[in-house]
Amino acid sequence: MIAALACHNLTKVYGRGSLAETALSGVTFTFQAGECCMLLGPSGSGKTTFLSIVGCLLSPTGGTVELGGKSIDYNRKGLLTRLRRTQIGFVFQHAQLLPFLSVYENLNIVARNSGLRDGDARKRIRALLEQLGISQYAHRKPDNLSGGQRQRVSIARAVLHRPRIILADEPTAALDWENGQAATKLLIEQAHNDGALLIVVSHDTRLSDLFDRTLRLESGKLRDP
Amino acid sequence: MIGVAAKMLLHSKVRSISTLLGIAVAFVLSAAQIGLMVSWCNTVSAIVRHADVDVWVMAEQTPAFDYGTPIPEGRLYQVRSVPGVAWAETLFMTWMFLRQPDGSRTIVELVGVDDGLAGGPWSMAENDASVLLEPDAIIVDRLYARQLGVSQIGDEVEMSDRRAIVRGFSEGVRTITAAPFVFTSIQSALEYDPRYRDDEITYVIARCEAGTSPEQLRDAIALAVPSVQVLTTQEFVERTLSYWLFDTGLGLTVIATAILGLVVGTVIISQALYAITNDHLPNYATLLAVGFGRWQLIAVVMVQAALLGIIGIAIGSTVFGRLSLISQATPIPIEMTPLVFGGIVLIFLACCLAASFLSLRSIFRIDPVAVFHN
Repeated sequence: MIAALACHNLTKVYGRGSLAETALSGVTFTFQAGECCMLLGPSGSGKTTFLSIVGCLLSPTGGTVELGGKSIDYNRKGLLTRLRRTQIGFVFQHAQLLPFLSVYENLNIVARNSGLRDGDARKRIRALLEQLGISQYAHRKPDNLSGGQRQRVSIARAVLHRPRIILADEPTAALDWENGQAATKLLIEQAHNDGALLIVVSHDTRLSDLFDRTLRLESGKLRDP
Repeated sequence: MIGVAAKMLLHSKVRSISTLLGIAVAFVLSAAQIGLMVSWCNTVSAIVRHADVDVWVMAEQTPAFDYGTPIPEGRLYQVRSVPGVAWAETLFMTWMFLRQPDGSRTIVELVGVDDGLAGGPWSMAENDASVLLEPDAIIVDRLYARQLGVSQIGDEVEMSDRRAIVRGFSEGVRTITAAPFVFTSIQSALEYDPRYRDDEITYVIARCEAGTSPEQLRDAIALAVPSVQVLTTQEFVERTLSYWLFDTGLGLTVIATAILGLVVGTVIISQALYAITNDHLPNYATLLAVGFGRWQLIAVVMVQAALLGIIGIAIGSTVFGRLSLISQATPIPIEMTPLVFGGIVLIFLACCLAASFLSLRSIFRIDPVAVFHN
């Protein structure tokens, strides 16, 4: 069975010479489609670097990343952009919605950019807003939403183009426990709906029961949890 | 991406509005300077263009219409005898002091016309240019009547202690110098200016026979008439323009001010766009992270530059139009031709797009990983 995402001997070193700092050291992972994983680790353990590399935002110093069995060539910037546009969905710690666009517009530009037609995009956005319980806020600007509502919009943005993998960086860090838990459940539900691989970076071990698998990074190396 | 670009600008309302005003002011500044130059170009060559002749014969080294020097009247007859000349007359031009009724003196450019009235006023407010053929008659322009101390037909002034009677008022016959044009007959002009002998004139003007071009006539006269310079009307217009715009430095000043306006406009939009782009760097990083290409973000910045430019120019054009209308009643009007105006708009738009250079550098330096660091 072809893995949804596979990393072999992934290494990332920032800087050179005496200033060199190793963020990831020989990390090897394999993830299957539909899997929901939690990635734990203290600050500076390399979690964000890992997400950046598998999210095609940063190139590794060594090792390979395979998406759906195909190795990613990090020298091809256009390919990386295309993968982010069509195969990867992101949920950020602070939602990172565009403040000058309404909720609907925030979703629509991403949907259109991923290649969805106008009518399909409209249907998909409406359905997602309905599922996430925020359809009444479609025409509000992000500044007029609560943190939990913004994070739900962010989840909708991450899944609306049905990506193969969804990467979430501390999606509950800015939320209280109840909202955080609810957002995580919604995220897992959306990933399951589309059979996407979900990798959530978090410090909150209380959420680990919600996931199929928990991994831990420490000092750039994979450890058993 | 046009919608994203426009909404981003609307989100930064204060910055966008101040940028638009800055561009509009810079555009008005530049367009007004160039409008003044267009007006001056029209004004300095107006008599030459409106004389409706083909060839001008003048003293050698004449730098401009306003600085003609005496040539013998006999040159008129020599010109008339050149094959290809259909018609030729004389024209007189000199600088004089005009004494107003209250005794004060004003320097004027006195133009003496021959019987055919060529070189005379081309637009009359009161009476007809033919009144110049009456003894002691002069025509002055309405714009300068107050400056010359006259207000109605029949008012009298003096030049060289000789009486001059206002027999008509022209309209829109302007000068760029402080000396208004005063038209009279060549006979009266010779009496007013004692520096000229009775057999001296300033210009011989001629029209071609059918089938002869102005250039052919110019060459034929230059061969037949000694010690003069012969120019076609177009050449004389260009020489007069060149003198006033470049030899006097006047044009360079105007061009420098127009360029300054352009530079100010470019700097304003460059700074504003840079600030708007920097305000939105986290948003650009988000767009990059979620799958937008850098070229799409560049398009956003370029669209913003174009939008600011187009709206700023539209506001500036409206103000310029009003300013131009108001200036028509003054001795220094602001004029414009569609071609020159189109040129200014294109140059401004190009500058607005060029002004996005700093912002584009910011776009190229965005690290999408920044989205993880908020």
